[in-house]
Amino acid sequence: MNASILTARHLSKVVSSAEGSLRILDDLSLELHKGDVLAIVGTSGSGKSTLLGLLAGLDLPTSGEVELAGHVLNRLDEDRRARVRAEHVGFVFQSFQLLDTLNALENVMLPLELEGRQDASAKAQALLERVGLAARLHHYPRQLSGGEQQRVALARAFAAEPKILFADEPTGNLDSNTGAHITELLFELNRERGTTLILVTHDERLAGRCQKLLRLEGGRQIEYRAAG
Amino acid sequence: MPFPRLVSLAIRQLLREARTGELKVLFCALLIAVAASTAIGYFGHRLNLTMQSHASEFLGADLVLNGSAPATQTQTNTGLDLGLAHAQVVEFSSVIATDEQIQLSSIKAVDSAYPLRGELRSSEALYGPEQPGSGPQPGEAWAEARLLAALDLKIGDTIEVGRQPLRLSRVLTYEPDRAGDLYSLTPRVLIHMDDLTATGVIQPGSRVRYRELWSGPGESLESYQKAIEPGLAANQSIETVKDENRQIGGALERAERYLNLASLAAILLAGVAVALSATRFANRRLDNSALLRCLGLSQRETLQLYTLQLGILGLLASFAGALLGWLAQQGLFFLLRNLLSSQVSETNLWPMLTGIATGMVALAGFALPPLAALGRVPPLRVLRRDILPVPLSSWLVYGAAIAALATIMWRLTLDLTITLALLGGGLLVSLALGSALLLGLQKLRKLLTNTSLPWRLGLGQLLRHPLSAAGQSLAFGLILLAMALVALLRTELLDTWRDQLPKNAPNYFALNVLPAELDAFKTRVAGITDFSAPLYPVIPGRLITINETPAHDLVAQGTQGDRATRRDLNLTWATELPSDNHLVVGQWWNEKEQSDLPGVSIEAELAENFGLKLGDKLTFNIGGTNLDARVSSFRQVNWNSFQPNFFMIFEPGALTGMPTTFLTSFHLAPGKEHDLIQLARDFPAVTLLQIDALLAQLRDILAQVSLAVEYVLLFVLAAGFAVLFAGLQATLDERIRQGALLRALGARRQILQRARGIEFALLGASSGILAALGCELISALLYRFIFDIHWHPHPWLLAMPVIGALLVGSAGILGTNKALKVSPLIVLREN
Repeated sequence: MNASILTARHLSKVVSSAEGSLRILDDLSLELHKGDVLAIVGTSGSGKSTLLGLLAGLDLPTSGEVELAGHVLNRLDEDRRARVRAEHVGFVFQSFQLLDTLNALENVMLPLELEGRQDASAKAQALLERVGLAARLHHYPRQLSGGEQQRVALARAFAAEPKILFADEPTGNLDSNTGAHITELLFELNRERGTTLILVTHDERLAGRCQKLLRLEGGRQIEYRAAG
Repeated sequence: MPFPRLVSLAIRQLLREARTGELKVLFCALLIAVAASTAIGYFGHRLNLTMQSHASEFLGADLVLNGSAPATQTQTNTGLDLGLAHAQVVEFSSVIATDEQIQLSSIKAVDSAYPLRGELRSSEALYGPEQPGSGPQPGEAWAEARLLAALDLKIGDTIEVGRQPLRLSRVLTYEPDRAGDLYSLTPRVLIHMDDLTATGVIQPGSRVRYRELWSGPGESLESYQKAIEPGLAANQSIETVKDENRQIGGALERAERYLNLASLAAILLAGVAVALSATRFANRRLDNSALLRCLGLSQRETLQLYTLQLGILGLLASFAGALLGWLAQQGLFFLLRNLLSSQVSETNLWPMLTGIATGMVALAGFALPPLAALGRVPPLRVLRRDILPVPLSSWLVYGAAIAALATIMWRLTLDLTITLALLGGGLLVSLALGSALLLGLQKLRKLLTNTSLPWRLGLGQLLRHPLSAAGQSLAFGLILLAMALVALLRTELLDTWRDQLPKNAPNYFALNVLPAELDAFKTRVAGITDFSAPLYPVIPGRLITINETPAHDLVAQGTQGDRATRRDLNLTWATELPSDNHLVVGQWWNEKEQSDLPGVSIEAELAENFGLKLGDKLTFNIGGTNLDARVSSFRQVNWNSFQPNFFMIFEPGALTGMPTTFLTSFHLAPGKEHDLIQLARDFPAVTLLQIDALLAQLRDILAQVSLAVEYVLLFVLAAGFAVLFAGLQATLDERIRQGALLRALGARRQILQRARGIEFALLGASSGILAALGCELISALLYRFIFDIHWHPHPWLLAMPVIGALLVGSAGILGTNKALKVSPLIVLREN
């Protein structure tokens, strides 16, 4: 068995609100290895996105800890967490999060440019061709359909060759047909590159295709399955 | 990330975003700010030069070195080495005699280069037409009409100046550098420098004034002044355009202040635009910066990236703006080429540089605070869009904006008190009016329930974010305020200046009226003129001590006070306070308590120069006798009135028994020169001084200032409108989304249009109220403390709410038209 790439130990998140403190995540642990695919499922408000944010180091837990690629995230300040993200992590979002002032090619080039890579343009172009957008390189987000935008986002996510990819409802804004295509593409790219994938979804069919499944309700884990 | 990579990334992002038109608004706002500042800077500079060159005429040069001995060879060589033009003048008093009569005259020997500025005018015959031209040739003398009248001379006669006989060849009508010296009592005779030695008048110990005239480019003059100042002998002093000549100085100073205030208004407006568009820039990048953070950029790097983008954009816009401003003023000067000086050096980059600096300071002050928020966007925002960055301390945000404003204001006014007063007052007004507005909006909420849909939509838009509505109203209010203030100042300042020069402003001074002739003279003058000032007694006397300390020990060298101790002052006494004077401190005779010594009222500025207090004891020497007096009041004097004015006015009776002559000024209508000749013949002792030329020049300057002021107003208006649209742009995103949503829900365009009209008209009306209130307050302060003119309420400002509603309403509908045109489908898909 290979070394774990992402470990969460007894994660809890408590936020204070007008009505007192609110526990939105309660004592959650998990461990993932290279190439694992985990689906986090649950109803709205069950704490899925909170968990994703904690695992990716976008936010810090109230208690417990997250270890990502050998770094214990709670012990790092935001800037050092940013460096860990730059090195190891990729994202795909429900609302695509493309920069609408940049065209498709420039959006994909962005993480490569942040790394200072000279071949940014060529590499981004190859990835866009891989996701079937060779004819759309110079289109702006608003000129692309939802499915096309998400394909640009996938290309961007894989551009920096992350070890772990976090996908937050990647098909949530798409119709089922387009969603299925995107899912296919996501799994294909994941297989090709051996990336660890963490997927937040409430699409049971999508969750069913994942090797591991974590079901949340009211911030607690109510099911954990590691099917083959 | 290494810095160069960050820079290259910033540039690439900027280029990409520029292509999409995203940064247009910010770029335009900065462009306007810098262009306005630069254009006004150049304009003011040129105007100043033109006016100074007019003012130089009154000195006959740009700089004069006065002395009771000739300038040293070194002093002269320094000027010549700097490439300055040079002329020499020697002045002294001498008696001109004919067989029957003698007349003490003021002789002025000039070389061929005289005058360096302005022109000398003369006529071939007594009261004949004036002709410009160079001075007398060797062997010739030119004399003023009153000398001819006094000695019954005619052109062609020979007079003797000292031992040198000279042929009287022309009547001297105008010397440029005489204007500042209206009170010189003796008639002028102009001779050539080459004849000076032959007169034999200049002997060791004789009272002679040497004037070295210099002119040339401003920098060389400054170098010259700096070079010779440390080595000035006790009997030497430097006179420049700004020192002397109160009439011109006053007009110049006010024009400069007005221009500075106007450019301040333009920059304030553009500052508001920069702030609005920078906030939009920052808000639209909240998502992007969260994403960049997810992609691994640190907080600092994110901040640096956007600061770099903004900085590069700012520099580009500033340079373009500076160029545009330069072009704009070139165009302006093409239009005004007949009126204004073209001698400004084309290479002067200073206004451009300060324009650029102004733009960058405005950008830093107004844009960095919203930008700072971008660095602190939590990366979690990519998952939850409702997360906003922790707001910066408001102290920091507003502190930066206020610091930027203060810097700009201070640069323009160069006066810390004014800056602090304006800034403090402005802040207080903004705070008070802002809270009043907020309260008003909340009251409106209650009225909302029973209104029709467009009203509810329009009002609802305002009430949904009352704070931002109050902010917008304040911003538009500032724009209207600035425009109203500039318009108001323009009219009233010009009117005030014009009022100071009424059509029948005195154009002649009469001096040396003897007590015995007083009544006869008064009657004669009343018969030939339509206006005359009262006749004031004049007693020449010198201020020697203040509270027993020698007066010249109490003043700094070269100041007005210093000059006042070095010559005889014209002392007078009066029962009534002169109509164009007003008391600043102390009491006039009728209210004053009895004291041991006679009272004296002193011109306020001179009093300040001497550091005088009420009750101080002054000692004057009058014709060899010492006279003590006690300071009983300080007066402000209107030097622009062309009526006799005095530094020292004594209590009636104080000067009884002293040798007295009388002085007055009057207006003589054109065509009555013959009456004047008769007057001069009948009262030979009276000296008549013509000041028509001085008045004409002053009018000319005022005409130019008026024109300039109108153009500057145009700039401010243009800036104001641009800002209005920039401000609307800032809210456009939300409006597009909201409009699309409403249309998707079935709202007709007409309803949306009306709702929008109502919203903006309300916003405009409230801005108008703010503007009217602010304008009254600020104008009252400005009039009182800066322009020194009388303030009265301006009822026309009541129209401001209507003007605001119309302006902001129509601009709002025009500026947000796009929100109604965009297809609802696209907008919803963007969501």
